[in-house]
Amino acid sequence: MNVVIETKGLKKTYGKKSSAFHALKGIDLKIYEGESVAIVGKSGSGKSTLMHLLALLDTPTSGKVYIDGKNTTDMSNKQLNSLRSDRFGFVFQQFFMNPNDTVYENVMLPLKIAKTKYSERRKKVENALKIVDLSSKAKNKATDLSGGQKQRVCIARAIVNNPEIIFADEPTGNLDSATGDKITDLLFDLNHNHGVTLVLVTHDEDLAKLCNRIIRIADGKIIDDYAVKKSEQTSAEKRHEKVAAEVKAKNEEKKK
Amino acid sequence: MNLLDIIKSANHNLFRSKTRTFLTILAIFIGSFTIILNSAINAGVNSYIDSQVENIGGDDYIEIAPTALYDQLSSMMSSDSEVKEYKPDKNSGETAYITNEDLAKIREIDGIKKITPYHNVTAEYIESNLNDKKFSVLFRIFADSSLHADMLTGTQPSSDDNKPEIMLNPSYVEALGFSSAEDAVGKTVKFGIKQTAKCYITPDNCIATTEATITGVQANGVLSTGNMLGINQALSDDIYDLMTVDTPDNIKDRTMFATGTIDPDKIDNIRSELKKLGYTVTTIKDEVGLIRTFFDVILVVFNIFGVIALLAAAIGIINTLFMSVQERTREIGLEKALGMSKGKIFLSFSIEAILLGFWGSVVGIIFSMIIGYIGNTIAHNSFLADFPTFNLVKFDPLTMLTIVLVIMLIAFLAGTLPARKASKKNPIDALRYE
Repeated sequence: MNVVIETKGLKKTYGKKSSAFHALKGIDLKIYEGESVAIVGKSGSGKSTLMHLLALLDTPTSGKVYIDGKNTTDMSNKQLNSLRSDRFGFVFQQFFMNPNDTVYENVMLPLKIAKTKYSERRKKVENALKIVDLSSKAKNKATDLSGGQKQRVCIARAIVNNPEIIFADEPTGNLDSATGDKITDLLFDLNHNHGVTLVLVTHDEDLAKLCNRIIRIADGKIIDDYAVKKSEQTSAEKRHEKVAAEVKAKNEEKKK
Repeated sequence: MNLLDIIKSANHNLFRSKTRTFLTILAIFIGSFTIILNSAINAGVNSYIDSQVENIGGDDYIEIAPTALYDQLSSMMSSDSEVKEYKPDKNSGETAYITNEDLAKIREIDGIKKITPYHNVTAEYIESNLNDKKFSVLFRIFADSSLHADMLTGTQPSSDDNKPEIMLNPSYVEALGFSSAEDAVGKTVKFGIKQTAKCYITPDNCIATTEATITGVQANGVLSTGNMLGINQALSDDIYDLMTVDTPDNIKDRTMFATGTIDPDKIDNIRSELKKLGYTVTTIKDEVGLIRTFFDVILVVFNIFGVIALLAAAIGIINTLFMSVQERTREIGLEKALGMSKGKIFLSFSIEAILLGFWGSVVGIIFSMIIGYIGNTIAHNSFLADFPTFNLVKFDPLTMLTIVLVIMLIAFLAGTLPARKASKKNPIDALRYE
């Protein structure tokens, strides 16, 4: 399997001298094509910082990030920008949608930035909306949607330009468990059936177990990096059963 | 993003907070409106002055008078109490004149084409054979064909013609009994001329008559109103001959000033040569320059107001865009995360600023055109009723375009500050911003 992202001695320090905060203290890891990787840790552990560095949104204090074996510190801003717009997709916890624009326009944004031809845009947006099952909402304003629908729009936006890697930062963090599951299903469907590499940042252990690899971070270091065994892996079906049982239990409690 | 996408989204973002955008455009509008209306009035007045200058004479027309005459006039008005010693060649008590010999000398100067003594010809009255009314009249001599009158109908009196000719003003057409301006053209009018020398002896019987053909009717204008009628040199000569019957030749031939045509390129040489001979030259430009300076000063003052308003508006643009950058922090962060370059973010906000300038100045043009149109209509129905060819306000497309471009440039410069701030935002910080 090809290594898509590799880091060597990745360090990130905020502030200077006495007030310096070492968010990452030397990270070495390899992410392979087609993997689904969960970066797990408590808040303040450095997991978000790591994802930002992997996604080239930030520059490390020291150490290097290689994409397809190429050192990204040698790259110009223009090259980094086109790497992100052509090959990466992003899903954020807070959605980050333009509330006054329509769903269609929100999903279109990455295509505008990537300078996709006008003739191809419509088809790509319609296709992405179809995958997240929101074709009927294309002309709605983003503000008129529910939380789950908003995150589905964000996924459509992340996949509209056919990325090779999707970075998802707490994608289900703002959603209830039932809606969260739909989003999870969508992400893992992209990973299983479309060969998209998935990098998830989460503190949700159940969500992490859906991935085939978990990287555990604490205090700026990797403390654990292991492949999830098939038996251990919570399948989507099992999760659904679990959620259904929980909902049922709650309803019964209410009746009492 | 390509340029079209950036312009589209900039325009879209602009009208997101409508009230704020509207107020900023309003501020720009006030400045642009003042400047545009000013320049339109400037163009209107100047084009009117130009057309009136044509009315009297072109670049090649000059008037010459003895410098001594000006000195006499100024010493009359001067409060200088110094007693000057008498020098026959410098401060003669007699009024200064140009004689035939002087004219011959002047004609030798390089660049002078033609010099004609200007005699102040007067008539007692003008009359037609259509009614028995007589009217008072004053003359303006159209000595040369390079002088262009603003004609209502017909042509101006010909200077090449030896036949006495005159053009009327609209008010004389009806008074003299003609049914219309067209009707008057080609008809004959008669003048009563006082024979000055004869009148000293027989005051009751000293008026002779002479005739002239009407060649056309002049349109009303600031410089061609009242009872001053344009005549040609032939008619002037006829009248002067009658006025000076029995007058000695040396008095008859002298004149206080002369008019002429020159080669306009040689005006500087002519001016200095004539100065040596003791004459002062006045061109049309000299005369009109004074009027123009007066208007220019007024317009400069108003333009300063406009520029001040624009500067205030520029600060408004800065303010508006800073607020917009603040509000859209997360959006900018997202765009940068998705791979939009610094330059594109800068461009996007700059274009917003430029669009503010564009809309402000375009609305300014539209409103000043409406106000200008109303102003012209009111003026033509009231104080400018007699001057149908005069537009108070005149819009020159090239000037308008220049003003729009300059305002867009000012807006762009104002926008660079907030645009820079937006482009420098770090995507991570921007995404964390709540």
